[in-house]
Amino acid sequence: MAAALCPCRALLGRRPRALRALARPARGLAAHGQTHFGFQTVSEEEKGEKVYQVFESVAKKYDVMNDSMSLGIHRVWKDVLLHKMNPCPGTLLLDVAGGTGDIAFRFINYVRSVRERQLRRKLKHHQNLSWQEIADSYQEEAVKPLGDSQVVVCDINKEMLKVGRQKAEHLGYSEGLSWVVGNAEELPFGDEKFDVYTVSFGIRNLTHIDLALQEAYRVLKPGGRFLCLEFSQVTNPLLSRLYDLYSFQIIPVLGEIIAGDWKSYQYLVESIRRFPPQEEFKEMIEDAGFLKVDYQNLTSGIVAIHSGFKL
Amino acid sequence: MAARCRLRSPQRSFRAAAALRRPAEEQHKEPAASSSQRQFDSHPADDAPEPGTQDAWASYTGQDGQESEDSASEEQLQHRILAAALEFVPEHGWTAEAIAEGAKTLGLSAAAAGMFRSDGSELVLHFVSQCNTKLAELLEQEQKLVQLGETQKKTTDQFLRDALEARLRMLIPYIEKWPQAVSILLLPRNIPSSLSLLTSMIDDICHFAGDQSTDFNWYTRRAVLTGIYNTTELVMMQDSSPDFEDTWRFLENRVADAVNMDNTAKQVKSTGEALVQGLMGAAVTVKNLSGLNQRR
Repeated sequence: MAAALCPCRALLGRRPRALRALARPARGLAAHGQTHFGFQTVSEEEKGEKVYQVFESVAKKYDVMNDSMSLGIHRVWKDVLLHKMNPCPGTLLLDVAGGTGDIAFRFINYVRSVRERQLRRKLKHHQNLSWQEIADSYQEEAVKPLGDSQVVVCDINKEMLKVGRQKAEHLGYSEGLSWVVGNAEELPFGDEKFDVYTVSFGIRNLTHIDLALQEAYRVLKPGGRFLCLEFSQVTNPLLSRLYDLYSFQIIPVLGEIIAGDWKSYQYLVESIRRFPPQEEFKEMIEDAGFLKVDYQNLTSGIVAIHSGFKL
Repeated sequence: MAARCRLRSPQRSFRAAAALRRPAEEQHKEPAASSSQRQFDSHPADDAPEPGTQDAWASYTGQDGQESEDSASEEQLQHRILAAALEFVPEHGWTAEAIAEGAKTLGLSAAAAGMFRSDGSELVLHFVSQCNTKLAELLEQEQKLVQLGETQKKTTDQFLRDALEARLRMLIPYIEKWPQAVSILLLPRNIPSSLSLLTSMIDDICHFAGDQSTDFNWYTRRAVLTGIYNTTELVMMQDSSPDFEDTWRFLENRVADAVNMDNTAKQVKSTGEALVQGLMGAAVTVKNLSGLNQRR
């Protein structure tokens, strides 16, 4: 039986880790279509609905709550993610579960500044240009300030995307940005289209994380990079106690005061505890076929950035 | 026994499939390198049993054989990306941009440059180790020719001059951006690797120059040669003469100085020994003359 399965696997996928995947414990849940919603157990169909409702209700106050819960540190985490990505102009980014567009806006800023530096260096290189050529190069800069880079923000929740688009208008981002409604477990894009796939604080809300990882592998070009910014397990035991205290006592209260929604934020902190730890998630990423998978802990493991390449 | 046979066949089909995919990818890139792999493929039944069984058994139990194979192919891919990136260095410098351009020529996305550090260190280190390997091959070939009697054995200073010149000439295509490379090599994080590359290169040159010393000379010779190499490299970076003539003249003078110093040191030692012997002889003569040596 295994012998029959395996040649097919070998032809389809590069890494015959099926044996290992089967051996991994299913985190204490039977495979009867049941999954976890925070600390509750719900059916898989229900989970999708419930998560949608959570984000629908928090959409308008999402950014404010992020700032107050993480004391503004989430901005640093997202900046670190962009620095790790180090995109060059011409990169196509897919930001999944990217709702309000934080990563997308940072990406555009980064690429714009890299492009400006590139153009300035080019000008310095050719010191003896004629006036006509200099004028032409300025025109070129006006036409391609992003150097053909594009970011597609994909989210299953229309409310979050709406908030994101309003933010974009408000902040003045018009070019290189697209907003698409889609399910991370079944992306509405063709194969091998994107250079980088990011998912920041979204993957723990999915019902089937392995499907999302497989979809990520599918839509990435060869050489493409998978980056995931997500809450993870804290390594330091003292900090872990403080963090638990803060999560369970303070965050839902903040949720009630600022957003008027205790339960959604209770779900949030519970879902963080349910997400697999760094090493296990790394193995899941490797199972999807990514190579050179690695992770970097931020703030002693409160948040971790996992990175993998499709080679 | 039967169970083991059953386990062996799926593993072999994995390896065959994996190995088949690799030559297919590399076919238009490096036909020479993959031909050995293709040979392995065409006789899986013959080759796999002996070394294959051992690996297959180990990789089933611990997935270690498979993982080391994957990491080997990852390393290969990294080397290929860096090799392809070298041609973009004159334009972009030793940076992640050059690596991204290199990845693009191999058909990968520019995001693959994220595998390397963003300061371009790996590109410089790869280039330096490549140059050192080329130099070692050159010196070995020369030595073979000398052994076969096809060329004359060179004098030490001529040999050193030629070896260092050959090594420095490899920098010529990148000489514009070489100062940047040197600054990258001197970053504290890179110093262990760059130092070990430098010492192994100098060691190769000394070895092929015929140095068989077992005393402190081993260190002084290598230290002197390292000094010559580094100073000549610095001279080369700001040399604007045609075909770097000034640099080679500088090199000639330094090597001559070093060899002179070596000769002088030997002379001083032998003179010293001769002097000491002479003095001892004179002392014995005086003792004889004054009659102090007579035994009563």
